[in-house]
Amino acid sequence: MPEEFRVLSMMHNIGAVTAERSLTVDELAQWTGMDAGTVKAYVQKLREDGYVEFVQISGIEKYHVTRTGIMKVLTLYS
Amino acid sequence: MRVAMLTWEYPPRIVGGIARHCEGLAKALAQQGHEVHVFSLDFPGAPDYEEQAGIRIYRTRSEVGHPNFLTWVLLFNHYIEKRMADTSKLVDFDVLHVHDWLSAPVGIAFKHFARKPLVFTAHSTEHGRSGLHIPDSFTIDGLEWWSTYEANKVIVTSASMKGEVCGHFHVSDSKVEIIPNAIDPTVYDGQVDKGAVRARWGIQPHEKLVLCVGRLVPQKGIEYLIHAVPILSRRRPETKFIIVGDGWYRDHLEYIANTSGQRWKITFTGFISDWDLVALTKSADVMVVPSIYEPFGIVALEGMAAGVPVVASQIGGLTEFIEHDRTGVFVYPRNPESISWGVDHVLSNPGHADWLVKNAREVVRKTYSWEAVAKRTAKVYKEVVG
Repeated sequence: MPEEFRVLSMMHNIGAVTAERSLTVDELAQWTGMDAGTVKAYVQKLREDGYVEFVQISGIEKYHVTRTGIMKVLTLYS
Repeated sequence: MRVAMLTWEYPPRIVGGIARHCEGLAKALAQQGHEVHVFSLDFPGAPDYEEQAGIRIYRTRSEVGHPNFLTWVLLFNHYIEKRMADTSKLVDFDVLHVHDWLSAPVGIAFKHFARKPLVFTAHSTEHGRSGLHIPDSFTIDGLEWWSTYEANKVIVTSASMKGEVCGHFHVSDSKVEIIPNAIDPTVYDGQVDKGAVRARWGIQPHEKLVLCVGRLVPQKGIEYLIHAVPILSRRRPETKFIIVGDGWYRDHLEYIANTSGQRWKITFTGFISDWDLVALTKSADVMVVPSIYEPFGIVALEGMAAGVPVVASQIGGLTEFIEHDRTGVFVYPRNPESISWGVDHVLSNPGHADWLVKNAREVVRKTYSWEAVAKRTAKVYKEVVG
C-alpha cells in the first residue's frame, strides 16, 4: 500500500473529513507519528490527486479528506 | 414491521455494493408498508437526518477518531448506539438488521439491551476478501464469527457465500438464508446518445469499448484484465479499455498498465457519477468482471440489465446467475488468455452477443428485483420475531 494512502486513511480515521475538522501538518504529524516534512509531502501528493483539500482558517493552513478521498479510503475495508 | 437497519455505508456514502443493497432493500421494504429506520455514518454534505421515500435515515458523526481503523470502527459504533438509544425512546423496533461486521457491535449490544431479534447479512468475509495475515484481519474475522453467532438468522446473497459462512464460522445450515442481491432495471430504461458518450471518453466509432467497473482492490482481479490487453490487442487492435472506480490498489494497477506496452488504450476514470456510469455501461460493447473473489457480483447484474454482454470469471456468486453462453460468457479467473478469449468471442459474434443480452435482460427482470428480495427478507424478519 502506498505510504501516502496510509496517511489518507489515518486522516479519515481521526475525523479530518470536513473543513471545520481539518488539521495542520504539525497536528497530522503528531497523530500519525511521522515527521512534518514527510506528512507535508504526502499531503501535497494527495491534494494533487484530489483526495485531500487545503483550507486556510484564520491564516493557518489546514487539510481535510475530500468526499472522493473518503470513498477511496473505504475501499481498504470492504 | 419496524426495522432498524444498520450499515456503515448508505448513499451518498458509497463504497461497494452494501450501500446500494441497503438502499434498494430499504426502499422496497418501505413500499411494502414496513417502517424502515437506517442508521449509518455521516458524509460531507448529507443531512444528519432525512426521510426519503418513506425511509428514515439517521447519519451519525463519530466525535472522536483514532488513526487505527479498528479503534475508529468501535468508536463510531458507540456513537451510532447512542443515536439508536435516543431513537428507541420513540420507536419500538421489531427487528435489528446488521449489514456486515462494521456495524455489528452496536447491533449485538442493542439486541441484548432491547431484547430484539437480530438479522445479520454477511456480504463477504475477511477470510475471503484478503485472507487472514495480519492482527487486524484476525480481529475482523472474530467480529464476523461473533455476528453470525449472535444473529437469530444470517442472510447471504449466494450459495457460494453460504458455503463460506457455514464452513468457516461453523454456522448451522438452517440458520443461513440465501437471498440474492437485486438491482433496479428501470435505471437503464432511458435513451443515451452512445456516440456522444463514447466520444467523450475518447472512443472512435470504429473502436470497441471494453468496460470494467469496480473498486480497485486485488479481489476484483483487474490486473488480469490489464494483462489481457496486449493479448487481445493482437487479435483485435480496435479495442479500448475503460476501468471505472478507485481504490487503494490503483497505483499498482496503473503501474501494470504503464508496463503493458498498451497504456494509451487503457483509461482509468476514478469515481464517476451514477448517471455517467449508466451512460457508459449502456455504451460499452463488452463488460468484463474479472474478479478472483466475488460473493455475489452485482456489477455483472447491472451490465446484464443495461444490455451489454458480460464476460465474467467463473467464480463465487457469478456462477449462480450467469449461464455460460446463454446469459453471459465465463472465463477462467486469474487467466488473461481466457479473458482475452471471452472478449473476442463476444466481439466476433454480434448476433450471438445480442442473443446473450436478450436472455440476460429477461433473467434480471424476472428474478432479481428488489420487490422479491424485500418480500423474502420480510419473511425472515417474521420468522425471527416469531
